[in-house]
Amino acid sequence: MKKILLFLISVMFTLSTFGQSEINYSPVYTVTKVGDTLTMKFQYNKGDGGDLTLAQFDFEYNNKLLSYISHESQAPTGASFARNSWTGYKFVPKSNSDEDDMDVQYTWWKDEAGSNSYETGADWGVERITVQTSAAYTNGNEFVKYQFKIKDKFNSGYDNYNNIIKVNWANYQQADGTQIQTTKSPSTQSLSGIEGGNAGSFTINLKTANTNYTDYSYTIKNGAGESVATGDFDESGQATVSGLENNVTYTAEANLAEDATYLDQVVTVSDLALVFAEAIGAGSGPSGGSTTFDYFVQDIMADVVGDNDGVDFQDSYEILAYLQGVTSGNTNLITQDGQTEDYSGIESTYGAVANDVVTFAKSFTPIDSDTSSKTIDLAHGLRGDVNFSHSWEPTVSSGEKTVVASSSSFRISSAAGAKYSQTETANIDLISEINGDGQVVFSINSEIEDMVGSQFNIVYDPNILSLENVIFDTGNEMTNFSNVIEDGYVRVGSFDQNVSTTIKEGTPYKLIFTPLENIQNTSGLISFRVKEGVKADGTQINFIIE
Amino acid sequence: MKKIITLLSLVLMMGCYQDDDLVTLYPDQEVPQSLQIKELIGIKLENTIVTDRVAMNVKLPLDGKYRIKIRHGMNNELISQEMIEAGEGDNLLKVYVASLEKSGYLIQLTDEFHNILGNQSFVVN
Repeated sequence: MKKILLFLISVMFTLSTFGQSEINYSPVYTVTKVGDTLTMKFQYNKGDGGDLTLAQFDFEYNNKLLSYISHESQAPTGASFARNSWTGYKFVPKSNSDEDDMDVQYTWWKDEAGSNSYETGADWGVERITVQTSAAYTNGNEFVKYQFKIKDKFNSGYDNYNNIIKVNWANYQQADGTQIQTTKSPSTQSLSGIEGGNAGSFTINLKTANTNYTDYSYTIKNGAGESVATGDFDESGQATVSGLENNVTYTAEANLAEDATYLDQVVTVSDLALVFAEAIGAGSGPSGGSTTFDYFVQDIMADVVGDNDGVDFQDSYEILAYLQGVTSGNTNLITQDGQTEDYSGIESTYGAVANDVVTFAKSFTPIDSDTSSKTIDLAHGLRGDVNFSHSWEPTVSSGEKTVVASSSSFRISSAAGAKYSQTETANIDLISEINGDGQVVFSINSEIEDMVGSQFNIVYDPNILSLENVIFDTGNEMTNFSNVIEDGYVRVGSFDQNVSTTIKEGTPYKLIFTPLENIQNTSGLISFRVKEGVKADGTQINFIIE
Repeated sequence: MKKIITLLSLVLMMGCYQDDDLVTLYPDQEVPQSLQIKELIGIKLENTIVTDRVAMNVKLPLDGKYRIKIRHGMNNELISQEMIEAGEGDNLLKVYVASLEKSGYLIQLTDEFHNILGNQSFVVN
């Protein structure tokens, strides 16, 4: 019995001696993004500790991630309150001891560590609060509230907002000076889910069949439609953007410069053939129907009149008129010299169909935790470029058509599933020479069969040569065109609107020039740019000149 | 009056001479050093960097028809071609580049059947 009493007394003594209080610290309000104000409360939890009349504690905060705004004493009326602060220091806890044991760490700082209790730490600020009262502090009362602004972690050297505030030690005393054993909760304060902040380096990859990437620019707009970043793509088709913020939704678009030198080469007889065939097949549109197109986006690109009424003969004749150099009276949307009609959108959904509408989604949202969100592929296309010679061919499955026209001879001979974009090559001979009359003759010689259309853009030196005549020998039913685009630049070709008659073999085109000065030869005087044909089955022919 | 008639006749003769000169090539003309070709066959430009036009010597093995081709210096695509009928030996001609895009090119001499006889690179600047 004596032993039992001794044991109970011993336990009670122990409990009395080792009664413990706590210092709690936590955010008052939820913070979610960079720039928010973090309000931290530091609070007394009496637990089974003694009556508190002196509280002194020391905490550090990461000044790369938090910016001190203010503090406000929560001590009761009549209490003494003091705040001290030091920038550029970090507490060195007592080794081999519990960092949560606040009185042990306090003793370490006060009596044991000497000058080793703090080390320089440019990323940290140390705050110290002292509150002294005559009456015992009420359990649950706060000591102080702090306000910090949440800083962007971009370029801070930190990947997250973990462990940004930590109480280093606490000195809780009773009125008689007795040290109250104290712990802290939590061990450190972290923040999660903080959005916003600089997205850092953001990359745009341009997707287009045109490799003259430096002729393209990008524009990024915010939700209000305001431009927040613009620039040009580099030689590899990439652009690096800075200044975007995480968790903000933007839109991106790409545009081709209207002074690019090759815009007159974008829409050619191959596009014309496709649009004519589609007009013959008719019934195209996002809702399906009879069509010769492979993608719904072609309905947009082929609607060069811009009446949003599908693809019809008005569009095909508009392109034919353009190639012929005839003014139709329409304000067409054909991509041509000095004019572009751009379409762009995120590549993975470029040309997708949603609710019977062809879409060009442009939105993106950088998210700090998702590296893949820091890059977008931006696809670009041009109105009139139905065969995608200078435009991106969609890859999204919902953008593909599955119905092939049966009423058109166009592509009937194509293999099942074959795309219009199939091409083949054929040899032709383009050559200039001076004839016996002193005229320069430029001949286009072809032995290609079943070609229903062809086009040649020919450049010559207008200071030395004057174009006198274009002689066609293409057959009786072909629609021929020779269109002087500008001085020294002529477009010559033919097209059968019924997609049935073929261009006669031999020398279907002959251009006759008169020299404006004495010349002995013609090297370099005449060169050729676009040189392509199209067969009755829609196959594009890329001419090869040996 | 006699002097005037003589002068007019001379002018008329010179005009006729120039017309004929348009299509006539004279082999073995005096060749400037910058255009001389040591080999029996070849093509040579007076300068490699060209802005408007440049003199060219085409040295041929036989009288006949030949092609002079200009190819793009990057993808070898043929962008201009002429057929000449010229004589054996040196033929002084010109290459006109004013309407070519600024880029690097290759000029090629071939026979009528595209067999390469010589070539030289040049740059339009």
